[in-house]
Amino acid sequence: MTSVFDHLVGQEHIIEILEGAVAASRTGEESQEMTHAWVFTGPPGSGRSSAAVAFAQALICPNNGCGTCNDCNSAKTHGHPDVEIIRTEGLSIKVEEVRELLTRVAWAPSMGGWRVVVMEDADRLTESAANALLKAIEEPGTRTVWLLCAPTLHDVLPTIRSRCRHLQLRTPSLEAVTNVLINRDHIAPGMADFAARVSQGHIGRAKYLAINESVRSSRKTIMQLPLQLGSLAAAFQAAQTLVDLATAEANAVSDERDEKEVEKLQEAYGKGATGRGMATGGAKAVKELEKEQKSRSTRMVRDSIDGALLDIATFYRDAMMVQSGNIDSMINTDMREQIESYAASSPSHSTINKINAIMEARENLARNSAPLVTCEALMCQLARK
Amino acid sequence: MKFTVDQNSLTDGVNWVSRSLSTRPIKTELLGIKIDATGDEVILSGSDLETSSKAYFKADILEKGAVLVPGKLLAEISRSLPNKPISITLDGTRVLVTSGSAKFTLPTLSLNEYPNLPELPETTGTVASDTFATAVAQVAIAAGRDDSLPTLTGVHVEINEETITLAATDRYRLAVREFSWNPATPGFSTSALMRARTLADAAKSLVGSKNVSLSFAPTTSNDRLAGFSGDGKTMTSRMLDGTFPPYRHLLPTDSVTTAVVEVAPFLDSVRRVALVTDKTVPLRLEFKDGGVSLEAGAGEEAQATETIDVLLNGEPISIAFNPVFLADGLQAVGTPFVQISFTGSNKPAILTGRTEPNGASIENYRYLLMPMRYAS
Ligand SMILES: [Zn+2]
Repeated sequence: MTSVFDHLVGQEHIIEILEGAVAASRTGEESQEMTHAWVFTGPPGSGRSSAAVAFAQALICPNNGCGTCNDCNSAKTHGHPDVEIIRTEGLSIKVEEVRELLTRVAWAPSMGGWRVVVMEDADRLTESAANALLKAIEEPGTRTVWLLCAPTLHDVLPTIRSRCRHLQLRTPSLEAVTNVLINRDHIAPGMADFAARVSQGHIGRAKYLAINESVRSSRKTIMQLPLQLGSLAAAFQAAQTLVDLATAEANAVSDERDEKEVEKLQEAYGKGATGRGMATGGAKAVKELEKEQKSRSTRMVRDSIDGALLDIATFYRDAMMVQSGNIDSMINTDMREQIESYAASSPSHSTINKINAIMEARENLARNSAPLVTCEALMCQLARK
Repeated sequence: MKFTVDQNSLTDGVNWVSRSLSTRPIKTELLGIKIDATGDEVILSGSDLETSSKAYFKADILEKGAVLVPGKLLAEISRSLPNKPISITLDGTRVLVTSGSAKFTLPTLSLNEYPNLPELPETTGTVASDTFATAVAQVAIAAGRDDSLPTLTGVHVEINEETITLAATDRYRLAVREFSWNPATPGFSTSALMRARTLADAAKSLVGSKNVSLSFAPTTSNDRLAGFSGDGKTMTSRMLDGTFPPYRHLLPTDSVTTAVVEVAPFLDSVRRVALVTDKTVPLRLEFKDGGVSLEAGAGEEAQATETIDVLLNGEPISIAFNPVFLADGLQAVGTPFVQISFTGSNKPAILTGRTEPNGASIENYRYLLMPMRYAS
């Protein structure tokens, strides 16, 4: 029999715990195994939200998460009345959003089972939003389960995390990711191996790269940037290229979706009606949606830049490996010669400094620093010998 | 789909189902009103997934069919139409609404994306619509507004054979109302927690019908739904999760002092005195044989004192209340006179109604009010 947990890659240690919780939940009582608040942490791409959603499915599915029934399917696609997935694509989750959520969560489960809330970005809660949420977690409905996701436990307010059971996901191994791409997504073995390797355990990113020619080509351009930092002007040019490519990649995804969303909303207010225009409030609703979309697209651009910086970091990581004589674990095997010649021409302490500079730039971006300025500063650092 | 209907039936139905439309729904399809003319009559539906409303009306159905249209726009159009027969026709992907010389077209939304709305549970009994509306309003006033404490935003409905007891509290006051009804099956009892504003809105909107049918899924049922229906209108609402706090022991049974005051002048004074201070500043009341004096604020600023007549039975007493909560209670008793029963200055007081100053107090509605501390 299939299970929703089959799709969690390299997470055997938590699957056991979750299956135990699902079994315990059938008794209808809160127990040591089944508690009402959980935090899933793990590096980006390790599948923390997939794990939380799978758990939600298993809790509401009559077959403990078969992955094929109506309940399992609708839970995943926002169609199940008892499962709420909060997927914030803005920069933060505001207190108003949490209040709205709490109103909805107050309902009893319609099917008499559990009411499950998955919050994919608990690290993006503003302080007041987190406090509003805390109240609800302190005094939960008898049948409500909270599943919060965050990169690390430190990203969650201490008062909240102390009330949650913590599950730490692992970065899946190269083999595990490659196998998923081959078996689940039917990607050719060579491509699967390449995509898994350069994505470093980030399954979603690996798949995206494997199926998108244009994304691979952008990546190729970006991976050449460390070799094109001969002058200050070139460094500035490299920063511009990186930001442009990352922005284009993010917009390719969001533009089409944004447009569709606006169209649907306008339609629901009666755009195109004759005898009378759109209903009152329609223009305002569209404006609000556009504001949300803008914030979402800002975040997507940032995420995309972050991905590009991680890619560049693999260049220096490979160079460092070569410098320390460890050439077998190279990520960018397609750039072997270029990396080897770079490694030979540059001292290893400088390579380490450059990796650190990239990580610092990522942290600055996460704190909302201006993307282009941050990338320019970084490229100037990378241009040094 | 094609039918004609009179303007009243349409507008009435559209207004009823519009109550269940949210302005920011999870799916845009929920901004729509479904028009279903596949049977013998027309059924309109609107839903925000928490509550779902349906309106049924007779119409001259020429062609059967169903369609989803922008809800707000349909409401605006139907209200603007003259009192003449209205014809509604699906023409390709558009709906034509005509009445006399007025002509509108509406786009249609995807009916496939529209959720299946829950069925109205079986009727568990009926009650006169005005009794129900009054009772719900009297209790809903005491419900909490803080959505992070969802249990307290609800009205607790307890059915015990022929009696329904409604209760709500925000921790600072508690309102309890009992009334009798006609259960469909003898010996029926259940309890449910319903969101106060949903219940109050439904009860108020159903006074046009003589009786309201209530349907509560039994507590053993998986479907935690309640339904309300009147002539041609139904609404289902999901119950709130959680346990309503036990409250009966909070209602004191004896008192050391009772005061009877005429509501209208008392309410005026409370509002006037409270006006000069912040809403949360305690309103101090001194009940003596000669009258009750009201005072708010402290020091030089915001002193306001008024005295009004009182019929006192027992020891004089000084006590302070939140003026807004006191005013709410005075209004909610719904009688010309109010009896306030005290057990002490720092103990909750109970408001009940009296039709005559010397008559008996009406015990089917009790409004318990917590006193406030104040520096004397
Ligand atoms: Zn299933």
